[in-house]
Amino acid sequence: MSTSTLKKLLVHTYMTLFTLPIIAMIIWYFLAATMNFTTGQFSIDNFSFFTEPVEYAGVKLPLIWPIVLNTLVYSFLIVLIEVCISVPTAYAFSRLDFKGRVSAMKFLFLMRSFPGITLIIATFFILVQMNLVNTYTGVLLVAVTGSLPGRVYIMKGFFDEVPWDIEWAAMVDGCTRYRAFKKVLVPFVLPGIGAISVFSFLGAYGEWFLFKLLIFNDDMLTLAGYLSKLVTKEDQIMNYGLITAIGLFYTLPIILFYIFTQKIFMKVNLGGAKQV
Amino acid sequence: MDHTTVQPIYKKPFKKKMYPYFFIMPFAALVLVFFVLPAIATIAMSFTDLNASMKPKFVGLQNFTRVFSDYNLPAILWNTAIFSILSLSVSLLFALIISIATQYFLKGKITAVIYRVLWLIPSIIPAVVYVTFWKYIFDPTEGGLINRILLQLGVESDPVSWFSKAAMGIVILATVVSTISGGMILLSAAINSIPEDLYKAARVDGASEKSVIMKIILPTLKWPLMYITISELIGFVSSYFFIMLLTNGGPMRDTTTLSLYAYQQAFNLKYYGYGAAVSLIVVIISFILTLLFLRLFDFDQMIKPSRIED
Repeated sequence: MSTSTLKKLLVHTYMTLFTLPIIAMIIWYFLAATMNFTTGQFSIDNFSFFTEPVEYAGVKLPLIWPIVLNTLVYSFLIVLIEVCISVPTAYAFSRLDFKGRVSAMKFLFLMRSFPGITLIIATFFILVQMNLVNTYTGVLLVAVTGSLPGRVYIMKGFFDEVPWDIEWAAMVDGCTRYRAFKKVLVPFVLPGIGAISVFSFLGAYGEWFLFKLLIFNDDMLTLAGYLSKLVTKEDQIMNYGLITAIGLFYTLPIILFYIFTQKIFMKVNLGGAKQV
Repeated sequence: MDHTTVQPIYKKPFKKKMYPYFFIMPFAALVLVFFVLPAIATIAMSFTDLNASMKPKFVGLQNFTRVFSDYNLPAILWNTAIFSILSLSVSLLFALIISIATQYFLKGKITAVIYRVLWLIPSIIPAVVYVTFWKYIFDPTEGGLINRILLQLGVESDPVSWFSKAAMGIVILATVVSTISGGMILLSAAINSIPEDLYKAARVDGASEKSVIMKIILPTLKWPLMYITISELIGFVSSYFFIMLLTNGGPMRDTTTLSLYAYQQAFNLKYYGYGAAVSLIVVIISFILTLLFLRLFDFDQMIKPSRIED
């Protein structure tokens, strides 16, 4: 055996060892959801949550279908709002001249790296004052504000990549600024819009903290908040079958989505690496 | 060549001066209400005794003297330090190993893609689902994975209650596995940008793998590593999602970090004023880290001037 194959073998061995927990996690999820561990037989009893409300360790939760609807509505609303706000903002930061642009941009960088979560106590108080606690509006506003700086930053990177000459050429040929934006720039930054949509969707789909904090009605939860009620109820989980079954139902769309979009995750320059 | 005397200086009409602001208005409004205002409110609230009655009263520095005389404080600070430093160093180390392995040793191979895709999964799947797996592995009853293996091997006769013995270790492990991918993406991109010729030249000169890694790859990674270090440190100091889902700070206060302590004081015990005072300390720490971060990376260079004049 040559040294290079030996080396490859060594690398593969280590990498497989490191990756083992993740593979185990995926396999366990499928097994735990579809198998009865005491008898060791395949069963779909755990999936009874499709037809009846979940009752678990003293927590009564509503039927899952309205929750699924909530999740979809919430996630798509977040995607829509974040795209509609971040694209024009990024365009302005990348292309337009206005007073205070540099300081606004510095503030954007500061906000992007500053953890907004530390301000949650005051945010809660402000929402109480605005009567927005226990409403979707409150959750939406806080969630959008938290993730916008990152989205604007990514979008700005995409706008910066488009050569000025293309926009100029369109304007010389008689386009207005707005038409140049719509017909020339937007097709160029479409991958960027796709990327931020994917990030927004994943962020919204996994959001449990704000729902735990701001939503008190169980029938207003999304799937993440629903599961977090079950997971954090006690220190140890009594019925892994039920929780993994719901978890699987909740995660599978994401994993499928991820398989088709995974190139975006490796490609999008998450910022800061520009110095490289 | 004095054009200015011939051509009058172009003065932008008011309408054109104003319209960029319409582009950033929604963003600015949101930031003002849900970022700037809370920042000011945190400072203001930390000087009051705001509690469940929602009637704030000014109490001066009382909250801060209470924070510093709190008998839990040394343990909580110690937890915060241990949690951030261990999580950071372990996740950096693994991000480095994985990105060198996939981008240098297995460059362009399909297996490299598979490893990376698998490693991204813990950060893609929702946190709620992800922690269930760790809860199962370290479950204190016979049903848990590790307890089951130990029992079958006959090492232990009784199930070990991992969450009361090694809570911090479990929290760090779960956090690390899901944060590695972030660093991995940046480091992989950096290693990928090294031209192939450099490796070839090194090989012709008879360089060993060790010196290729030490002399070519690591120097390229200086900036990405710095970036990841500070941004992850900010995250570890301020966020507590995994801790909250895994142990909720327990057993006792073994896994309570400073930011989680602020949350608990505010939302479990309804001492909003005191919670705000504790979180103000976290805010100051994160703010210093953030400023350090902005100082290190030259952002002025990244802000390109606008070139279209109209």
